[in-house]
Amino acid sequence: MNSPGNGAINRSGNSAINRAGAGAAFLATLKRDLLISVKRRNDILNPFMFFIIVVSLFPIGISPESAMLRQIAAGVVWIAVLLASMLSMDSLYRSDYEDGSLEQLLLSAQPLYLLVFAKNIAHWLVSGLPVILASPLLAYMLALPAEGYATLVLSLLLGTPVVGMLGSIAVALTVGLGSRGLILAVITVPMSVPVLIFGTLAVQNALAGGSPAGYLALLGAMLAASVGLAPVATAAALRITLN
Amino acid sequence: MVRFSVGATLAPPGFGKLAGTVTDCSLALSIAAASVTMSAQSLGAAGRGARFVNEVEKVAGRWQWFHRLGSPKWFYEKTTRWLPWLVGAMALFLTVGIVWALLFLPPDYQQGHTSRILVVHVAVAGTSLSFFPLMAVAGTVTLVWRMKLADMVARNAAPLGAWFTFLTLATGSIWGSVSWGTWWEWTDSRLVSMLFQFFLLLGVISLRSAIENAETAARACALLSIVGCINVVIIKYSVDWWNTLHQPSSPISMEVGSPNGPEFWVATAVMIVAVYLFLAVSLILTTRNEIIQRENKAQWVRELVAQAR
Repeated sequence: MNSPGNGAINRSGNSAINRAGAGAAFLATLKRDLLISVKRRNDILNPFMFFIIVVSLFPIGISPESAMLRQIAAGVVWIAVLLASMLSMDSLYRSDYEDGSLEQLLLSAQPLYLLVFAKNIAHWLVSGLPVILASPLLAYMLALPAEGYATLVLSLLLGTPVVGMLGSIAVALTVGLGSRGLILAVITVPMSVPVLIFGTLAVQNALAGGSPAGYLALLGAMLAASVGLAPVATAAALRITLN
Repeated sequence: MVRFSVGATLAPPGFGKLAGTVTDCSLALSIAAASVTMSAQSLGAAGRGARFVNEVEKVAGRWQWFHRLGSPKWFYEKTTRWLPWLVGAMALFLTVGIVWALLFLPPDYQQGHTSRILVVHVAVAGTSLSFFPLMAVAGTVTLVWRMKLADMVARNAAPLGAWFTFLTLATGSIWGSVSWGTWWEWTDSRLVSMLFQFFLLLGVISLRSAIENAETAARACALLSIVGCINVVIIKYSVDWWNTLHQPSSPISMEVGSPNGPEFWVATAVMIVAVYLFLAVSLILTTRNEIIQRENKAQWVRELVAQAR
């Protein structure tokens, strides 16, 4: 409950300094989280490997024929991305919770949602972006027709941050719990369904020769809504669970 | 002042709304007005003149009912008086609805006798849609005013909602197994969005059971219910979009003998009232149970238990 009060006092005192403070805190959090992820490569590498392994299971489990794979390629990549982000989400606040730096964030005079947003961006840069960069390769292995690549990558670029921010709410609600991995998935996966729907619809539409712009615009709208709302909800959730 | 007086006239009917239809807009209005009162109170506490404080106190006095609503004891005593009426009305509507549907409803010209299950299915489906709004409103009350009672209602609403959603899916697939020839059909978007509502409710339940501290669990579930309520709407529309082939709900008709004529929808309307009453009664009963459990240290609960022995 510290930061809103302090923020208000600072704002009334000297707004220019305070704004610089919030921006600096945002950048510092972003930089810190990126540095930590670089030093703890396993947290990034494991979900990435998981993503590739899950995708390679589908041709074995369903059918190795390219006519079949072509139809399911976009959906398989999207589902594997969803599952991989569930896996990587677990590490979002865990180490910060364990070493107490999460509580320091809560006590900071800067708005918590901004710091949470910085953490979300850092997490997406190290866990979402590599998966997206690898996705054309995996889509090629699944025989996705050439018209689909650009749309697939664009839909992932717009959609995965939404999944990450929704997941961040769930992580914040379950931070500090012992067996939270499964609860996290149970909460987040149903909420990610709209993203999955529009992501795969966009690719299917592009393959059918239509314009995927409408579906991509919807994904963009979801991204805008979650940038505005999800960090606030995450901040509220952190205040609840770490009271 | 205008808003206060509007709220005050709404106050007496507002009592009964919590258990059954919290979604009712009159309560939402009352809550909005109450929040204005509360913020006015806190302004007064900051010391902005005695006259203003007096005025605020007068208004706050009118809002005592809202604060009383937060008292488990008050709720317990009131519902003791309401329950016989509610149970009586529920029994009446349920009997009329079920007997009507099973014995007197003419069999559909295409679906035959299976159309009877629709009377139950439509009523349960409609009711199960009200759980997330109910939990979101109760959650808001929990987060803003920290009322214990709101959380007790929300806590029991989640498993009840899961049961209602499950019943909707079950009666729907039994009906579908005959008239569509399949137990499950992904191309019907209502089935799919109901399924995801079911998953979201399970998520709320498992979050509740995972957090040990009762107050943290209450507030965490309150937040998740609010997020979930928004999400259920988004899921519903995106699933609709995903599958534009679904059949729209049939328009009702005033003509006797038409496919959706009055003999069908009047029976369904009776059933909807019956199921809502059933929901209210079950929610009140489980909440009363919860009150006894959570307030077991309170004097009045001890006296109640001693009397029962």
